[in-house]
Amino acid sequence: MIDGTILLVEDEPLILLDLEFAIEDIGSQFVSTSSVAQALAAIERADPPIGVAILDVNLGRGQTCEPVADELRRRGIPFILHSGDLDRRDETIRRLGARIIAKPTSAERVVDEAFAEYRQSGDPVTVPP
Amino acid sequence: MRFRRTHPDDQFSGSSGMLFEQAMAQTRMAVCLTDPYQPDNPIVFANRAFRALTGYEEAEVLGRNCRFLQGPASDPGTVARLRDAIAREDVVIVEIVNYRKDGTRFWNALHVGPIYDDAGGLVYFFGSQWDVSNLHAARAGEQHAQLMARELSHRMKNMFSVISAIVNVTGRARGLEDAAGEITSRIRALGRAYDTTLEQGAAGSFSIREAITATLSPYGERITVNGPDIRAPFGVISALSLILHELAANAGKHGAWSLPDGTASLSWSGDGGDLRMHWRESGGPPLPGTEPGPGSGTMITDRLLRAAGGQIQRTWRADGLEAVVTLPIQEADLARHD
Repeated sequence: MIDGTILLVEDEPLILLDLEFAIEDIGSQFVSTSSVAQALAAIERADPPIGVAILDVNLGRGQTCEPVADELRRRGIPFILHSGDLDRRDETIRRLGARIIAKPTSAERVVDEAFAEYRQSGDPVTVPP
Repeated sequence: MRFRRTHPDDQFSGSSGMLFEQAMAQTRMAVCLTDPYQPDNPIVFANRAFRALTGYEEAEVLGRNCRFLQGPASDPGTVARLRDAIAREDVVIVEIVNYRKDGTRFWNALHVGPIYDDAGGLVYFFGSQWDVSNLHAARAGEQHAQLMARELSHRMKNMFSVISAIVNVTGRARGLEDAAGEITSRIRALGRAYDTTLEQGAAGSFSIREAITATLSPYGERITVNGPDIRAPFGVISALSLILHELAANAGKHGAWSLPDGTASLSWSGDGGDLRMHWRESGGPPLPGTEPGPGSGTMITDRLLRAAGGQIQRTWRADGLEAVVTLPIQEADLARHD
């Protein structure tokens, strides 16, 4: 369990649904998004605020989760990367320097890893609006 | 290479000159000489191969600087390197886009260097041209294939993720979470093993060591693997990865990995046309000494091996399971069991 909402960014609906179920099992709150714009809006609005995020790296049509990662980092919110594309985007991934969970991994384990990241990161920094 | 200029107006006289001319006439390598003492370093000799490569007649070539072969796609940086090397009387080898008389392009592996006389004075510049367009196309093809393999790998991992998600979601909807979990863990093991085969897609076979390592990668420190890097035909990979997955899953549920300090090791060897694997758990819970009930994993392993023409022998030692698995890995055997 964590204090705060879990942000999911994933452009594949079935994988998103699988993650949602895994989080529902634990009883945490989450917000699902499938694009950078949706994710940034969710970070802004989430109540309770985002506590940890699970980011798919490649969001389709050449979009990556990088802007979302930058915004999370700016706010001191921990996140993990969930990607099958460890080669092509490895520059992006290196730059993001976050914990990477390789697809395919079970949704339960992905959520566990996100919680572990959350516990290690300590309290998120509060950023004034 | 040194050429002797015996007379300023008679460039290739004497026996060496004759040899030179004959060699130049016969070689398939395009060669030209330029005269650095004339304005703009013009071509003063071009052999038959040069004319064949570029499509120009001798009269169209003589008196012109070599740059007339360049065009819009010629890299300015490469041209600058050539110019600098010529200015320094250096030898330079570049690959540059050149144009034939008919306007078609080719990749030219160009070798330029100074030719000195016996006194060490600069006499000519020598240029050899070789059409390496095919080589470039092959390199581009190879790069393209690599990109495709990566893209394919990405899509395949994504597909395995989606399939797992479908099974999980369906399992939940039907109240069959446990069965769904079992299925998805098998699918993921398969996905990990398949991913190792993409890099060598053209080979028609896969590396046993890579497939085993990938299949067992989630078990990290608890398993040691050791064996030669044998190659096996693609048809074997599903059975191999699923059998290893069942052994690992069983170790986690009932065997050595159900205790915090339990470990397992896997070694293998090629034995005729068979892959022979030795699985050994240790530090596990005391076992009853008899076979546990026919769990689904055990049943799947046995039936799968039988279908693949292999077999498994299990021995329950005091501190864990020992299993010896043989799996045929020769094409002929596979064909027979397909």
